Amino acid sequence: MRGFNKYFAMAKASLEVIFVYRAGFTVNLIGSVFYVVAMFYLWQTIFLGKPGALGVFTWPEMKAYLIVAFILNSTMTWFDEWQMGADIREGRVATDLARPIDFQLKRFAEASGPIPFELASALAIGAVVAFVFGGIALPADPAHLALFIVSAALATLLKFSIIYCVSMTAFWTTGMEGVSNARMAVQNIFSGALIPLVFFPDWLRGLASVLPFQGMISTPALTYLGAMDGPTTAFMIGTQAVWALGLFLFGRLLWRSAVKAVTINGG
Amino acid sequence: MSSMPLIEARGLTKKFRQAVKEPGLVGSLKHFFTRQYRDKMAVDHIDLSVEAGESVAYLGPNGAGKSTTIKMLTGILVPTEGSLIVDGLVPYEKRQQNARNIGVVFGQRTTLWWDIPVIESFNLARDMYEIPVKRYKQNLAEFTELLGLAEFMNVPAGKVSLGQRMRADLCMALLHDPKMLYLDEPTIGLDIAVKDSIRKFIRRLVDERGTTVMLTTHDLGDIEDICNRIVIIDSGRIIHDGDLGALKDNYARDRVIHFQLARPPESMAAICAGLPACETTSDDGLRLSVRFDRFQYAAGEIAAAVMPHVEVIDFHIDEPEVEDLIRKVYLGQLSLTAPESTAEATESAVATGA
Amino acid sequence: MAARLRRARWLVYIYFRCLGQQMKAILAYEADFVILMISAALVQITGFLFIWTIFQRIPDINGWTFWQVVMMYSLVFITEGVGSLFFEGTWRVSRLIYNGNFDQYLLRPVSPIVQVLAGAVGFNGLGNIITGGMLMAISLGNVQVQWTPGRLLMLVILIVSAATIRVAINLGTAASAFWIKTPWSLVPFFVHQLGEFAKYPITIYSLAVQAMVVVAIPFAFVSFFPTAYLFNMEAWSAIGLLTPLVAVYCLFMAVTIFRIGLRRYESTGH
Repeated sequence: MRGFNKYFAMAKASLEVIFVYRAGFTVNLIGSVFYVVAMFYLWQTIFLGKPGALGVFTWPEMKAYLIVAFILNSTMTWFDEWQMGADIREGRVATDLARPIDFQLKRFAEASGPIPFELASALAIGAVVAFVFGGIALPADPAHLALFIVSAALATLLKFSIIYCVSMTAFWTTGMEGVSNARMAVQNIFSGALIPLVFFPDWLRGLASVLPFQGMISTPALTYLGAMDGPTTAFMIGTQAVWALGLFLFGRLLWRSAVKAVTINGG
Repeated sequence: MSSMPLIEARGLTKKFRQAVKEPGLVGSLKHFFTRQYRDKMAVDHIDLSVEAGESVAYLGPNGAGKSTTIKMLTGILVPTEGSLIVDGLVPYEKRQQNARNIGVVFGQRTTLWWDIPVIESFNLARDMYEIPVKRYKQNLAEFTELLGLAEFMNVPAGKVSLGQRMRADLCMALLHDPKMLYLDEPTIGLDIAVKDSIRKFIRRLVDERGTTVMLTTHDLGDIEDICNRIVIIDSGRIIHDGDLGALKDNYARDRVIHFQLARPPESMAAICAGLPACETTSDDGLRLSVRFDRFQYAAGEIAAAVMPHVEVIDFHIDEPEVEDLIRKVYLGQLSLTAPESTAEATESAVATGA
Repeated sequence: MAARLRRARWLVYIYFRCLGQQMKAILAYEADFVILMISAALVQITGFLFIWTIFQRIPDINGWTFWQVVMMYSLVFITEGVGSLFFEGTWRVSRLIYNGNFDQYLLRPVSPIVQVLAGAVGFNGLGNIITGGMLMAISLGNVQVQWTPGRLLMLVILIVSAATIRVAINLGTAASAFWIKTPWSLVPFFVHQLGEFAKYPITIYSLAVQAMVVVAIPFAFVSFFPTAYLFNMEAWSAIGLLTPLVAVYCLFMAVTIFRIGLRRYESTGH
């Protein structure tokens, strides 16, 4: 229990940092709303112009999808490759190694700390956008809502694990800006953040289904809408969990071997 | 033109507007609606005139308005009130033209480009200041030699040591033959040897090229070695402006040398007898301090006189500090009246505190 | 007049001298700049995939076909690329002002605006320009347009004007740092995000959004109006001809705002 308290304190400290920089944070968040609003207008034009052309979703469902994607995208925004890269390059890692703290758990605590604030802000903004655009579809039923919460939590863990793994490139390159942008580009298309994966042609959908990214947006959003049947939902959330935990452990492994290589080479 | 001082400031004033704000989110919100401000007088109606060829030490406690004054003189800041002319130009109106006449070194910041080799920064300066190629080569060769820049000429500014960076910054500031050189804490954080070479370099510049220098510092050594005039500013007002002779003779001449002893001295009287004009004290028996006049004794002579009587483990010399000097002037303990000539200064200035 | 022209030419020379040094410094980290370029290309490819996927389902958006929207996209990315590659320095202004390092720009006998523009290089811009250029070429190849020398010249003028508008917006908003002191480019980022609206035909937005991207922050002149002109899109086409004027106006406004800000500069160190 004492071990856990340590990380809880770190998460809290990280949340407080967000409060100090709340002006910058809020502006960033509002800035990202423009993207969502542009998307809403785009899809509105498509749905109202050609009802039925996108047979899978109704317009209220599509709106719900966009809002869910926006909210999921707005968590852990202060954890990225830049920060990790800077920590590794500037030797802050060394001081962390000297302490009786698990490096990965510390990062996880720091990344998760701001989530309550991020979530609250995103929900508020999402609600306004949803209201302006005439409301969104509600969760299919309470059971799907509960499953959605589980899936959203797994999506957040998955996001952490992916960024953590990608950050390990900082041991070999200083170009974290490029690495971070590349990860976001791939993630945006294959997570379903830009467009629901069902709209993809088969080859692209096939590719997305073997990558971990779909667990970040698509799986929780479809769960929310109840768009998948029972077994499929179970399978998709299971896949999500396997990716999230697998990459989390893989990140530990990468970290350990990278540190070993660096300490041996005296990096 | 030649009869006009190089710098002429009349009633020069800079007010900064500070937000009156309670802490926290509520405070920020309140401020957003009420918009309350308070004026802070950084520089408060100062008159200052500097003739070409002078070297002025511009002193004052932190926050007194030193940097603000220099930033107005360089054209970075626009004065709130008052008139200011530097070499016939109003700096903030003709900032770029003024920039050609001045060299600036801020000890805490570099004007070199961080990521590129030092020599490339110099070459860029050559192009920006449109320095004639021949003049540039001459200056570069001379400064490289005098400041010892050759060894790190091809290293990016971000990767050289502080002392190296300062020397490179000095070169950078002087390549275009400025008439006026502003130095803000030029020796801060440097070791004695580098300080010394920089001071010698600047003094040489004043003597040989007739460059006018204005410097702020917390190091009395800078003032002694470089300047012939001292201006003290406090809370935005000039509280002293005068010759440096008085300072040199009445304040800066005292030095204290502290000895750490292995055993208490057997006879204080014997030591004192060997140092007639000094004030010798020993507080707890194992420490011995000798206050002496540095024009009468060299530190080595003091040590030679003390050594035969005691076993010395360690010793160090106290240098007087600028802060101490300013405090004494402020408290009226040290009078640095602005005299007509250097000879009078020696006579009239009295160190009441000593 | 001749002296002014000489001065302007000299400023351009100084600008490229400074920029060249920045490029050299970055090229020292070869791997980094390759990664940056690739990442920029990836962002665009995903953007392209997005529109392509949508147009697999529908023939047009408010009368705009796939290749016409791709043209808008390419203009957004090319102008963005020009901004990063040649004028990335605008994104450094906030930090420079915040920690007082802006001083050094004011101590040199060169316009601080030129120094700001040449203050940094973003090699991701090269990736954007290359992929954006390719998308534009494919788009132009797929849309029926009568190519006269005049229209070709207009294409070049429109691209230059669109890039100017974007850079002017970056510069003008960067000047906000003289008033709002934060180490991050808050206002510039916020406004930059409005550029999202430039990716799609403005007819899909509500009147308020349209007014914002046409009048307030004229992102519509970066992509929508130039494309409308090139492809003769109904009533919008004529407005596209105003693009160069809008560019001049934006640049004038940006420089004016920057100069007003400069007089307020307080040179505080942090």
